[in-house]
Amino acid sequence: MASNIHKSARKMWRTMSSIKTGVVLLILVVIISAAGTVILQRPVTEADEMQRAYSPQMLKVLDALGLTNVFHAWWFILLMALVSLSIVAASIDRFPNSWRFYARPYKSTDAVFRKALPLQAQIPIADEEAGLAAAERALSRMRINSERIVGDDHFSLFAERGRPSQMAVYIVHASLLLIFLGGIVDGIFGWNGFLKLNQGEQSNRVELRDGTIRPLPFAIRCNSAGQENYADGSPKKWWSNLAVVQDGQDVASKEIVVNDPLVFNGVRFYQSSFGPNGNVEKLILDAIPSTGTATAREIAIAPGQTISLDEEATVSMAEFIPDYVVRDGQVYTRSNDVQNPAVHLIVDSKQSAARINVWLPPIPGFEENARSPYRFEAKDLKMGYFTGLQVSHEPGQWSVWAGVILMGLGLAFVFYVVHIRFWIVPMRRADGQLVLWVGGAANKNKDVFEEKFRKLVKEVEVESHTSTASAAASKTMLATH
Amino acid sequence: MARARVEQRSVPTGSTLVTLVGLSVAFLLFMAFLNVVKSGNLLTEENLLYAALIFYSGAGALYLAFGISGTPSYIKFASFATWAGLLANTGAVAHRWYEAGHPPFASIYEMLLSFVWTLAALTLIAEKKYGVKVIGTVTMPVAIVGVVLMQLLRTDVHPLVPALQSTWLHVHVTLAMLAYAACALSFALAMMFLIQDKMKTETFLAASSLFCIATYAGILTRFEKWGGLNVIAWNAEEKSEVFLSRGVRLFVTIPDLGWLMLLVTAAVAAPFALYLISRWKKSEHFLDLANRSVFIAILLQILALAFFVMRARDGQYASLDADGLFSTSLAASPFILSGLVGGIFVSLLYLLLLWRRTDLERMLPAAEALDRITYKTIAIAFPLLTLMIAAGAYWANRTWGSYWSWDPKETWAAITWLVYALYLHMRITRGWRGRRAAYFAIAGFVVVMFTFFGVTYLLPGLHAYA
Repeated sequence: MASNIHKSARKMWRTMSSIKTGVVLLILVVIISAAGTVILQRPVTEADEMQRAYSPQMLKVLDALGLTNVFHAWWFILLMALVSLSIVAASIDRFPNSWRFYARPYKSTDAVFRKALPLQAQIPIADEEAGLAAAERALSRMRINSERIVGDDHFSLFAERGRPSQMAVYIVHASLLLIFLGGIVDGIFGWNGFLKLNQGEQSNRVELRDGTIRPLPFAIRCNSAGQENYADGSPKKWWSNLAVVQDGQDVASKEIVVNDPLVFNGVRFYQSSFGPNGNVEKLILDAIPSTGTATAREIAIAPGQTISLDEEATVSMAEFIPDYVVRDGQVYTRSNDVQNPAVHLIVDSKQSAARINVWLPPIPGFEENARSPYRFEAKDLKMGYFTGLQVSHEPGQWSVWAGVILMGLGLAFVFYVVHIRFWIVPMRRADGQLVLWVGGAANKNKDVFEEKFRKLVKEVEVESHTSTASAAASKTMLATH
Repeated sequence: MARARVEQRSVPTGSTLVTLVGLSVAFLLFMAFLNVVKSGNLLTEENLLYAALIFYSGAGALYLAFGISGTPSYIKFASFATWAGLLANTGAVAHRWYEAGHPPFASIYEMLLSFVWTLAALTLIAEKKYGVKVIGTVTMPVAIVGVVLMQLLRTDVHPLVPALQSTWLHVHVTLAMLAYAACALSFALAMMFLIQDKMKTETFLAASSLFCIATYAGILTRFEKWGGLNVIAWNAEEKSEVFLSRGVRLFVTIPDLGWLMLLVTAAVAAPFALYLISRWKKSEHFLDLANRSVFIAILLQILALAFFVMRARDGQYASLDADGLFSTSLAASPFILSGLVGGIFVSLLYLLLLWRRTDLERMLPAAEALDRITYKTIAIAFPLLTLMIAAGAYWANRTWGSYWSWDPKETWAAITWLVYALYLHMRITRGWRGRRAAYFAIAGFVVVMFTFFGVTYLLPGLHAYA
């Protein structure tokens, strides 16, 4: 019984760690993600658009299967967990072998290995030591470090470069896990919402994507905000001067622009939008007396404010309508954009002892402009603006960026660092000739390595020739003396 | 035997076809020339582009002549023309950069400008450094199409909206361009491998026909009741598409064009159908018919292109979603336009293979070398794809406050990445070589193309800018 459990556990481990499982899982991810881009997704689509696109029965089925929110469905998360598990299992399964290979490199060769190695050559030499020295010189000229290995009865050489590339694939897989980890942390603890502030206003209530309000332990105040335009009037830059208010005190402040957020306690505030909030900040008017020769006077008036025009008359601003339309005997606004503005002023005059409604522009049926002791001409309008802030808390993002950097490094090692190895052993051939046996292996780019190997063999040949020649020359010199 | 017969008979038809294509290119050049005369100023971006177009066309013709005749002296003139074209193109890029104040990657027009420049530079590098001489036969026509498309698209400097003003955007787009170019190269190499691996010519026939069917099926998703074709409305004054509300474009219906597209779909499907019949009946006769139906398909495709250009260029059409008439422009339909041109181009490439297979086999490197180079190109493309996605995520994080939001373009970029990851796993751990690896490389590029064109054309999302 126990052995049975053991057996099935082992079988499961083998399945989980096999490359086939990994590939099947990845193909599933591909298919499901593709489906998620074709079917409209609830989080990013308006509800009525979903209803327009699919019939009610269809929508019910899609909702029940989680296909309208694929990337947050439990089975998609399960699938991602399985992918992670498969990566971990495959890595654990293969790691010990690779680690042995990495930590205890194969340095001295045996006869079986020498016979089987595909890339090898033999260079005839006169003397063991001179041959090895020549090979060392050739290797150092190719900038490959070599070491002498003590064998049973002779020295041999081992040289290598780029050994870490053997472990690079684990770095890439680990980096992928780091990215997943960051994603999971953000999925659980992260949130993303929107905060709309008028100039001078402060708030700590962030509206999340699902409509709920998340209060922050501190408040944000918008000191000022603005927009810079291109010559053609399209927006070039939005900026907001923000301050963080905690316990009634300003603890931080920053002027943010798109792409440059304010970060406080792990919460990020991004400039996301900017626009008129439909409220007037200041209206500049010319007030011209209807009678007499007195000159025009410029006044600046804000909503609700009352300004005296002379000893007898005052004016106040009752309403501002950004985009007016008259319907059913009422004045409405169509939008918050200043498309078609109208302003309702009330002039109080002691002379007539009545409140006179003045409309700019004069809207028939409402205006009593003719009765007013003053004519008004609008000169300029200063609108109030809101700044739209995207607010997010993503504690897992550092894991993601660390994973990305690690992956870049890992991929660089996987693709561009080659582990090359050379073994050089002096030995006596069957015909009695002393030779240097040179063998080489590379874990990728074998065609390029083959050229390198030939170059090394040639260099060793040249080196050993010159050393033999110089040795011969010194011998001759000795003989002559 | 049968093939030899086809070859002998089709050569005269072939030269007529080449003449036809030449004439249509000349027509487009003439149109471009009219634009130059209108502008009056000489050393402008448009004129530089026009010069580039002339040189690229010359280079394309010479490369094609080399592909057909195999005369080596053509290559020398061809690369000279390419150099000249590249020079003019560099001038246009520099002009654009200077005028806009940002690297030219912000709109479809600017991306095409950079893409064509990269393509010409890569062609010269491939030719000089790696000796792949025949590559210009493929890349130059693409460059020509790119420049012609640019003539039709908007040319005024469009200011960047705040979200796009980031160095990371430029990093992201540059990496995307490089990655996609490497993917395209691996695709071309995989195709060359299949040619050298003695894959049957009729398989290429089926593949090219399938490509055209897919393209026209994509176009037919815009088929409207009573045979119309929906295209996006274009506001000529603001030089932008017309939006009903945020992200929802207004479509106008060009009457009767849908029927034509349907007819052409049938025509491009005919070679594939005949190929299937020939497989089923094991008859060479049907294959012969299939090859002939390719001519009809090409002629009809040219007809479709001509009609589309004529009717979509200017004109007022009604819309189903709003009252009144709206104008449209070729600039509003870059995807349909490139689909139509792409279909013709792929069919012509098939004809080149059909007639000149032995010459091609002689000129291309050996199958084994091609297999190895394909892998190496993907080894370059994959890290670039990774960095492209990372830069995009970083940019999104700085702009929208989240690094990954599963928007269709993002998701498809991830899918592309996964497909190439699968390729690498199969090759490294399973030792996949040769045909299977080549099929995988081709599949990868198909996904890349879908990510680049299909997602923007068919699926909605945040990447509406590009």
